[in-house]
Amino acid sequence: MDFDSSPEDAAFRRDLKAFLEAELPEDFDAFTMEPLEQKAFSAAFAGKLAERRWLTPAWPREYGGLEQSPWQQLILAEEMAGHGEPRTAQYMCVNWVGPALIMAGNEEQKAYHLNRISRGDVVWCQGFSEPDAGSDLAALRTRAVWDGEDYVINGEKVWTSYADTADFCFLLARTDPEARKHHGISIFLVPTDTPGVTIREIPSIFSSGTFNQCVFEDVRAPESWRLGPENGGWPIIRKLLVNERVGVARFRRAAATLGRTARAAARAGLLDDPGVCEAIARAQAACDAARVLIYRVVDERAKDRVPEVTAYVYRVATIRCEQAVYEATIAVEGVGGLVKGAQSGAQYPHALAAGTATGTLEMQLNLIAREVIGAAAAGR
Amino acid sequence: MDMELNQTQRAIEASLSRLLDRRAGPDRARGLRKADDVDRLLMIDLNEAGFLDLFHDAETGPLMAMLVTEWSATAAALAPIGARVLSAASVMGERLPLVIAVGERSQLKAVRYAAQADALILIDGDEAGVASRGQFEATPVRTKFGYPMARVGDHAVTPLAPGAGAVVRRWHRVALAAEMAGAARAAVDLTIRYLQDRVQFDRPIASYQAVQHRLVECHVAADAAQWTAREAAFRGAPADLAAGAAITACQAAHRIFYELHQLTGAIGFTVEYDLHLFTTRLQALRLEMQGVRGHARDLVAARWGAHATERA
Repeated sequence: MDFDSSPEDAAFRRDLKAFLEAELPEDFDAFTMEPLEQKAFSAAFAGKLAERRWLTPAWPREYGGLEQSPWQQLILAEEMAGHGEPRTAQYMCVNWVGPALIMAGNEEQKAYHLNRISRGDVVWCQGFSEPDAGSDLAALRTRAVWDGEDYVINGEKVWTSYADTADFCFLLARTDPEARKHHGISIFLVPTDTPGVTIREIPSIFSSGTFNQCVFEDVRAPESWRLGPENGGWPIIRKLLVNERVGVARFRRAAATLGRTARAAARAGLLDDPGVCEAIARAQAACDAARVLIYRVVDERAKDRVPEVTAYVYRVATIRCEQAVYEATIAVEGVGGLVKGAQSGAQYPHALAAGTATGTLEMQLNLIAREVIGAAAAGR
Repeated sequence: MDMELNQTQRAIEASLSRLLDRRAGPDRARGLRKADDVDRLLMIDLNEAGFLDLFHDAETGPLMAMLVTEWSATAAALAPIGARVLSAASVMGERLPLVIAVGERSQLKAVRYAAQADALILIDGDEAGVASRGQFEATPVRTKFGYPMARVGDHAVTPLAPGAGAVVRRWHRVALAAEMAGAARAAVDLTIRYLQDRVQFDRPIASYQAVQHRLVECHVAADAAQWTAREAAFRGAPADLAAGAAITACQAAHRIFYELHQLTGAIGFTVEYDLHLFTTRLQALRLEMQGVRGHARDLVAARWGAHATERA
């Protein structure tokens, strides 16, 4: 057991931090930008990262990566999150759309898409959730029917982040309605400007552009848009969702918000207030707990194992950390936190969404239960 | 980084585990509680086997000392192991008395093991002193909270090096966190086994989702307590990480106390059932060093106070 980074990892963190500090304004936070402004910013910033191969450092060298270790991937995730996540939607392309293509794509798909992603030229969205398929994702009903020439796609996706600015949708659709539900699903790589695709914003309490509805009406998708075998989408998704669950270092972004909040409290002379002091300390402890718990996940990946229960435990700890940081912001800011621009207003969407986005808290608890309580008892 | 035990650590774990199987465990703890005593024999055995001197050993270091504390707590050991291997080791060099109590000057109404201790470390702000048996008054107090405790009265302490209070406070927090983490883990595992076996309405209680989620939250809390304490020990107990680990452990102790007793039901209130050996101790531990309030004050001062260096 050893918590020290290797000299190479420490050097990578140093270089990355120096780069981010030089390129970004202090207290930068991409999540406070409007959607189009955010897209333009992240495209420009992704280009700078791509020049150093830091946009896709985990990828194989032949596809524009550096074959970095899982520990360096964590460092990248931490430092990006700690500096306001300037990649915004790019993290999705990089963390699992690209890896999905590398894992299951044919040469033509790789040649077309991977370059674009590794240069930061495109934004992807994920067409997963549907009105009747949330946590039970495999219950999805969007259909893709082969008519002899193309697949014809009909259905509706909801809560789709970044769809309003995305160039492509990583779409899950049912290609065999007779098969057991996990066995009849295929993946399609659909340009969002394809005729029949309609994207509408679903107004959110958080900010504009958070949620979208994507309707697919007789969308014609050639076979070349299908990723992996027909009806073979689920195993690919299952493997890659682990990347999504742990690929975003929420604890680090939350800790940055907490740091800003605590410094403001210090300037206002509030740190001697026991309520404020305790809320800040509890939040810091929660951020540190999530940070340490992700080490177990990364350790497993570094040893070529597929993390399961450690990843779910980390997710639960992350949710608690987002909530604790929000509690700290309101303890410090009081009613001032209700005014736009305050830390409380910026943090509460994270505190609420953490337990819902990328797999609900309850699903994580179910998955942990299956492992630690046992399948026999938990599966009933 | 590597989150698995290395060869040396695994060997120590196996050897400690054999010793604890023979010399610790719930039945022994119940007997000692009845006599309001400390497990001095266990301390002697641990000492002879070299488990109490790992802190200053370059190969094992404070992390291994912390793990010995944690694992002993899981085995319900009723002895101040953390106070000896971490708190005292951090400020008193290598030739230490066997049974050591640690108290804060402002918190002397109930000090764990004070009546049985060979020495008492007394923390007073950033300073600390030590008193040998006979140099401090310790009157046993009755308690339902899992440990022998005593009120500390008149005392004549020999000051330790300047600033020793700040050092021992940091390491004692790691010791508390380690002991809480170990007890929390034991309590969670015990309750999982019980709920897998206990059938109501023709099903194991553990098969109900309402029960599973609460149990899993306790499991997550115990994991968080274990790993934050381990990291704090490895990094040399910096004030913020030590206090953070103690807060995380206190939160686990808080959750586990209510949830595991609720899920276990009436059997959990009996002396013969093991749960109380862990849960009542967790309550005592979460109040030591002024509890979350004290840990929070030091964490915030270390990171954001007037003389702080904020960790990146």
